[in-house]
Amino acid sequence: MAENPLPLSHSSATSKSREPLFRARGVTRVYHTGEVEVRALNGVDLDLFEGELVVLLGASGSGKSTLLNILGGLDSLTDGTLTFRGKDLTSATERELTLYRRNTVGFIFQFYNLIPSLTSRENVALITDIAPDPMDPEEALDLLELGERMDHFPSQLSGGQQQRVAIARAIAKRPDVLLCDEPTGALDVKTGVMVLDAIDRVNRELGTLVVIITHNAVIADMADRVIFLSDGKITHIQENPVRRPVGELSW
Amino acid sequence: MRPLDLKLFRDLAAMKGQMAAVAMVMACGLMVMIMERGLVVSLETSRDAYYQSNRLADLFCDLKRAPNSLRVRLSHIPGVAVAETRVKGSAVLDIPGMKQTAEGTLLSLPEDHPQHLNLLYLRVGRLPVAGNRGEVVVSDAFAEAHGFMPGDTIDATIYGARERLHIVGITLSPEYVYALPPGSIMPDNRRYGVFWMNERELAVALGLEGAFNNVVVDVAPGGDPTAVKADLDRILTPYGGLTTYDRTEQLSVKMVNDEIKGLRTMAVAFPLIFLSIAAFMTSAALSRLVHLQREQIAQLKAFGYSSRTIGWHYCKFALVVVIFAFLVGGALGMWFGSRMLMVYHPFFRFPVLDFYPDWPAFLLAVLASAATSFLGVLGAVRHAVTLPPAEAMRPEPPAAFRASLLERIGLQKLASTSFRMALRNLERKPWQALFTTLGLAMATAIPIVSVSMGDGMDYMMDFQWRLAQRQDVTLALIEPGSFSVINDMRGLPGVLNVEPFRAVAARLYSGHHKRRVAITGLPQNVLLSRVLDVHGKPVALPLSGLLLSKQLAKMLFVQPGDALRVEVLEGRRPVLHTTVSGTITDFAGVGAWMDIDRLHHLMRESRTVSGAHLTVDSAREDEFFAAVKDSPRIGSITTTRAARENYDKMMGRMMDISRAIFFFFSVVVAFGVIYNGARIALSERARDLATLRVIGFTQREVATVLIGELTLLTLLALLPGLYIGSELTSLILTSINTETMRIPVVLTGRAYATAVLIVLLSSALSFTVVSRHIVKLDLLGVLKARE
Ligand SMILES: Nc1ncnc2c1ncn2[C@@H]1O[C@H](COP(=O)(O)OP(=O)(O)OP(=O)(O)O)[C@@H](O)[C@H]1O
Ligand SMILES: [Mg+2]
Repeated sequence: MAENPLPLSHSSATSKSREPLFRARGVTRVYHTGEVEVRALNGVDLDLFEGELVVLLGASGSGKSTLLNILGGLDSLTDGTLTFRGKDLTSATERELTLYRRNTVGFIFQFYNLIPSLTSRENVALITDIAPDPMDPEEALDLLELGERMDHFPSQLSGGQQQRVAIARAIAKRPDVLLCDEPTGALDVKTGVMVLDAIDRVNRELGTLVVIITHNAVIADMADRVIFLSDGKITHIQENPVRRPVGELSW
Repeated sequence: MRPLDLKLFRDLAAMKGQMAAVAMVMACGLMVMIMERGLVVSLETSRDAYYQSNRLADLFCDLKRAPNSLRVRLSHIPGVAVAETRVKGSAVLDIPGMKQTAEGTLLSLPEDHPQHLNLLYLRVGRLPVAGNRGEVVVSDAFAEAHGFMPGDTIDATIYGARERLHIVGITLSPEYVYALPPGSIMPDNRRYGVFWMNERELAVALGLEGAFNNVVVDVAPGGDPTAVKADLDRILTPYGGLTTYDRTEQLSVKMVNDEIKGLRTMAVAFPLIFLSIAAFMTSAALSRLVHLQREQIAQLKAFGYSSRTIGWHYCKFALVVVIFAFLVGGALGMWFGSRMLMVYHPFFRFPVLDFYPDWPAFLLAVLASAATSFLGVLGAVRHAVTLPPAEAMRPEPPAAFRASLLERIGLQKLASTSFRMALRNLERKPWQALFTTLGLAMATAIPIVSVSMGDGMDYMMDFQWRLAQRQDVTLALIEPGSFSVINDMRGLPGVLNVEPFRAVAARLYSGHHKRRVAITGLPQNVLLSRVLDVHGKPVALPLSGLLLSKQLAKMLFVQPGDALRVEVLEGRRPVLHTTVSGTITDFAGVGAWMDIDRLHHLMRESRTVSGAHLTVDSAREDEFFAAVKDSPRIGSITTTRAARENYDKMMGRMMDISRAIFFFFSVVVAFGVIYNGARIALSERARDLATLRVIGFTQREVATVLIGELTLLTLLALLPGLYIGSELTSLILTSINTETMRIPVVLTGRAYATAVLIVLLSSALSFTVVSRHIVKLDLLGVLKARE
């Protein structure tokens, strides 16, 4: 069934001709908490392509984070298949998943998740020390205009700066995919825009596949495609013919 | 159950490993406490009751010979309640089935009246009946070692005459609770026994008919012992009196008191270490818990719970730990304590020796543990409850860090990223790091104390027996005699070497310090019984002056070169003004030495000897002992070689037990401290570590970050630990060392290596346990919200 091109991805203008990076078929994730069974994802079919910027929208509890975590190799599926560049992630071992995360995936979280005992430079170096073909930490930080803040500790940075360090950390390894879970959730508009701009530039300049989760429909305008989730299912995918420049976004 | 208490038990269940580690360390402290204090109380109780009920004498005096008519004068000395005269001698015992001979001390029992002092405590049988020949009661340790019962007989050579002793009873004596063979440093129940027999018969056997050579005195209430002593000495000196000594100088009494003194030290030192480590561990663990629950605390406050209720709730955590430790430590302490009494049994013979736990001291220790833990907890709770609820419910800003000292002084190039994290984490919480290090240092120190004490004993025994006392047998003459007896000894079967000695009782004076000792005269360049310096090198006997045991010099407050007055208490009782020519190293008892020819000169005697040290061909030992035991002039036969074997057997067992206990202790402490530290660090860094996992660090790499920090602490702790261990060893040894036995401080690489190994292995073990928690890190949960 994985061979059948799905109508959803069929119509994608940017991706028609190419092999998808991610191919998800019937992805299902069920959580058991005591007696209760929660279907966080309930049969998700989705292809994601190199170089595109995708926004995930949906109500709280609709399964956005679950999907993102599964794409990032942080969570396992209950049912269905998921491949990355044709390689099966479903049956990957813990070690293979770790390597996959290390070499391929960049994560950005709502609460930045920087290591408080390390400076900006060191937080980035954490990755560049172990990734196969990294940038210099300085280069990554410069990309995010943080050259001045290299030797500051997280407690000495504003929220927006911390988030930009987190982005530098995520992109320094030159990841194939950048997964962002509510990256602006804890930021004010101005800083949020700055962070989104950084992410947008990474997408354009490095050609990294970017997936952004947000509650903010405005942000959807900067995407190539917007995927709507509800109750663990994709209800609808919207393609934006033109990506709106981040500078014009406001909420 | 109230909701807060439900929360208590759920939270406790969640941190049960950590709480158990803390409780175990505390339990160790309480166990040592109740065991050692219990032993102190038990020994003291038994001792006091025994001395009281069996009327142990206050004063003792040995003399050469005084007529029985002198008794009346003695009992009329002002301040004397009872004076009892006795006859005392020694015997060579021929025990069937034993290759070597055994030694006996013989004491008289009054025939016309029951004993007034030092009453026997008969276990089995009866006392000798006046007029019945050869009836004896025998000390129960000796009887037990040979399985003797009333009705058995022993052949003895008393004063050169063969006698058959009929055992009619088996007894204990308050005078011989701890029975040391003369010239020995360890009890030897097979080779040494005490016998009591009818006075007239013993006097005849010892050539003391109508006379006595030993006096014991009970000072009347209100009497002045010093005055009584002086009077006794004045009266007895013409009869060869050897200075009266009081109860505290009596050998058995001294040994019992020394043992209690040692136990007292242990009962304070070790519990103090364990309990303070445990108190720190409790407060560290619970401070962390309080910190983790600061939002919950804020909510409870918002609901209207008072700070006091919340504080008490967290104190209950500590209370549960203390109660657990109390139960485990109490039970183990009682059990080990009563076990230990059995180890004491071969050495210390009391009519009853029951284990009396020292409840007041124990409760004090428990309360102190609880109080210190509470203090730690309350400190943390106070911080949490003083935050306004609204503020506490907001997530904390990221912790403030700065470059560590190492980096600030420009050494950042040396440090890898994870090492930097470790350094900065440690520097951010210096007190926590310090206390963890201190706990680990203590864990390192504990095995050093135990191994060093064993090594010290071994060194002492090796020094004593391989370097100093190299004879196989020492023969003492009944009466000092002419040198010709040495030639007779050379002719005994199997004898290889004979070296004579002359020993005289004397009193040494320096200023107002005085001391009774034996002065031993030895030939120059002897090979068997030698006087040695610290390095085990023989010290030449001076042509003028006196060599003293270092301990004796200390007790007399003299140094080499200082003047000394010597009063000899035998023969013509010459008085000599001389100097201390040097000190020598020995570990048991004290003595003074000089050249034998000079001693002869001083005594104005020609080549008199008191006995000789011998080496004997072990293949011909049987022949040797058969020949020597009937020799008419031999008063006692001491077998050094056999004594050494006996020591190895007895001490070996004791040391094994104590080594095992100490090993267990240090593992518990090292494991507990590291495990607790690791769990706290894991909890504090869970978010960081999970983040590292998320961005692609392997489990092993993440574990390295956490373990790196703890390894750093462990390594930091080792050197101070070795130092503390060394200091603690000498502190403890100094406080338990006595005149009778001085264990030297011997710090070997082996002790250090053992300590380091134990700590490293315990660390590795707790790392392994903690690593299991790293595998279980909740990667997703940690991303959802701030801590
Ligand atoms: N570890 C888990 N155990 C049990 N249930 C879970 C777990 N993680 C997620 N869920 C449930 O799965 C469903 C989807 O959760 P998910 O976090 O993916 O939602 P979301 O779309 O990211 O919501 P939000 O916008 O609030 O972040 C929810 O109902 C949630 O309660
Ligand atoms: Mg989410």
